[in-house]
Amino acid sequence: MSIKQGKHIAIYGKGGIGKSTTTSNISAALADAGYRVIQIGCDPKSDSTTILRGGNDLPTVLDTLREQSKVRLEDISAVGFGGVLCIEAGGPVPGVGCAGRGINAAVELLQELHVFDEFKPDFVLYDVLGDVVCGGFAVPIRDGLADRAFVVSSSDFMSIFAANNLFKAVNKYAPSGGARLGGIIANSILAAYAPALIDDFAGKTGTHVIGYVPRSLVVAQSELYGKTVIEAAPQSEQAQVYRNLAKYIDENDDSVIPKPLNSPELKKWAREWGDRIFEVETGVVHEMASI
Amino acid sequence: MSHHLEKSRNSCALHGALQLFEAIDAVVPVIHSTSGCGVQHYLGVTRLSGGNDTFGSPPVSSSNITQKHVVFGGGSRLREQLKNTVKVVQGDLYAIVTGCSTEMVGDDIPAMAREGRDQDWPVIFANTPGFSGDVHQGYHLAVKALIEQLPDIVKTQEVIPAGLVNIWGIIPNQDPFWRGNLQELGRLLEGVGLIPNLLLGRDQSIASWKQVPGAVLNLVISPWGKLPAQLLEERYTIPSITLDGLPVGTSASILLRRLTEQLELDPIRTEKFITREESLLNYQLARLADTYYRAGFQREFALVGESAQVIGIGEFLVKSFGMLPGTLVITDNPPESIREEVAGRLATILPGYDTVVIFSEDQSEITDVVRAGDPGLILGSSLEQEVAVELGVPFLALSFPLFDRIVLERAYAGYRGAATLLEDMGSAILSCSNYINEAS
Ligand SMILES: Nc1ncnc2c1ncn2[C@@H]1O[C@H](COP(=O)(O)OP(=O)(O)OP(=O)(O)O)[C@@H](O)[C@H]1O
Ligand code: SF4
Ligand SMILES: [Mg+2]
Repeated sequence: MSIKQGKHIAIYGKGGIGKSTTTSNISAALADAGYRVIQIGCDPKSDSTTILRGGNDLPTVLDTLREQSKVRLEDISAVGFGGVLCIEAGGPVPGVGCAGRGINAAVELLQELHVFDEFKPDFVLYDVLGDVVCGGFAVPIRDGLADRAFVVSSSDFMSIFAANNLFKAVNKYAPSGGARLGGIIANSILAAYAPALIDDFAGKTGTHVIGYVPRSLVVAQSELYGKTVIEAAPQSEQAQVYRNLAKYIDENDDSVIPKPLNSPELKKWAREWGDRIFEVETGVVHEMASI
Repeated sequence: MSHHLEKSRNSCALHGALQLFEAIDAVVPVIHSTSGCGVQHYLGVTRLSGGNDTFGSPPVSSSNITQKHVVFGGGSRLREQLKNTVKVVQGDLYAIVTGCSTEMVGDDIPAMAREGRDQDWPVIFANTPGFSGDVHQGYHLAVKALIEQLPDIVKTQEVIPAGLVNIWGIIPNQDPFWRGNLQELGRLLEGVGLIPNLLLGRDQSIASWKQVPGAVLNLVISPWGKLPAQLLEERYTIPSITLDGLPVGTSASILLRRLTEQLELDPIRTEKFITREESLLNYQLARLADTYYRAGFQREFALVGESAQVIGIGEFLVKSFGMLPGTLVITDNPPESIREEVAGRLATILPGYDTVVIFSEDQSEITDVVRAGDPGLILGSSLEQEVAVELGVPFLALSFPLFDRIVLERAYAGYRGAATLLEDMGSAILSCSNYINEAS
């Protein structure tokens, strides 16, 4: 492989938690700041870059690979907002074939096409499907493809659980040249206790939160226009939140090998938070009730 | 419990299934896997079993899937392959067998077989990825597929001869003498008035398999025949007689008497047959006596092979031929549940004698154990020749892999097999000692 062009970043997180929205907004903000950005959706749903492209059709790498033996970059990419090069890996029909291997095949093709050498990106963002369900979905953080992984998480237990799983994968691959963890992006922050809960989890696992993205109507509205918040509502507070995330990723190269909790630890941790939230909601006053 | 395994002699489940299907006339296996699986079967199994594989590799069909089929699913590739196979290869039955890659992906094989059947093609399937087990498991899976799926395909009522006996547990090629052994077992059954259902080998076709449910008995020759017998007992209440090993020499008489009692056969006929066979064998043994003592046949031996061989051949050599059991190595990984029993039986094969019994398929471990026993004769697979040369002792290759002998119709089972075994083993001893005499 040739010298890696740009910073390669993988975004993981539980299904539906806001990975694609967050990644697209970060891409848009980076592009807006003048950087060359590629966003690669590594998810069979192939909807990662929709709001960067105004909802236009984009054939996926795998669909194209299935239909034609010779694939060119033009066939599988589209230029979206701010010049972001959008690529969707795609996948098989649900219930058939191996999506994990599909990610592998797509990434191999991108390397064969010398996409990175030719486009010369400053940033490559991989938006990867929810849980790291099998080896295939760990491809972006293995083999030194991405330098850093970020995980999008809300304060829901299942989302923390998925984050912890990602930490396990990073923990496994990082020592042999895989990606390290850049941090947690807290998303859909609504409840008062949410930041404290996520901070606490970050502390316990040896990482930190790089930004808190509030749950906001602007996101939903922009999505309906087929746009990122950066494009649709650049003056909004929400846009500034995404810009800050982009700025952090740009200016900060910090990364760690996280220390995931094992299952009993995670369960115990969750139970304790359950009790605390219950007390807050029911008005029990505690010494350390700073949440 | 992972450790390095050297030169395993147990290939994968896919290969075990292929071996079974290839041993039935007009059954066409359709491999749904990567191309290497079929090639590996030829290179790693059929070619290494007594030199009687099909010219230029067996005629199997294979979907030869590539990455595209792994990613998107290989169902349509299999559909296409099945269609083409039915078009160009005439068969009574098409048997889909799967390899690791397609099972990892989770292709819907039963649906593909069903589609074939909907077109009135006789199609069965067995899920046989290598990771599901070894060659013995493959035999299980293929036999199970035939027992369970064939009745849905052939609806015709078979006329089943009275006294039909199914023979289970001999895995083609994994026992290099399978053809001859089955023939001799068949001859024994006929000798007491039964009709053998050999199921595998020359002239054995789907017609033989259609008769399976109508048999009066299942004869189980190795641990690997227990599952088919059990399935048939559950489905058709067919009883079984189970042996742990090949009946060699006079153990055949024990089997024949058991059959006669259980199936209420004519005891006079049975005894007459036994007398004739035993007296021939005794006559042959008597003629061998002079050479036996002159060349010092009675010596400690090491025997390496599948459990059915080690038990059958080992017991015969010790009990009828006065040989001394030094080291017995069982290579077919029999189920844990029977290991203790088998080990116990073999450890006391010669009461009071110190016999080493191990279960191993690891070449380096086997070699070490054989070498440590310092035997005066080695019987094993072709892989044991090296240690035999090293120790300068006579050697006879009789278990898989067998790549330095031709085995066409030879048998070591039954009365005739016992005589053949003595001929082969005696020749090995003589040629080795002549060589040593001349050299010294
Ligand atoms: N901060 C937010 N405020 C409001 N809505 C949000 C926010 N983040 C995400 N959403 C909404 O949540 C939904 C799911 O988001 P998105 O598609 O980005 O999730 P995802 O993690 O990529 O999901 P998947 O795992 O299905 O790919 C979208 O409708 C999105 O608009
Ligand atoms: S182990 Fe798997 S991949 Fe190898 S030959 Fe057997 S089925 Fe094929
Ligand atoms: Mg998404």
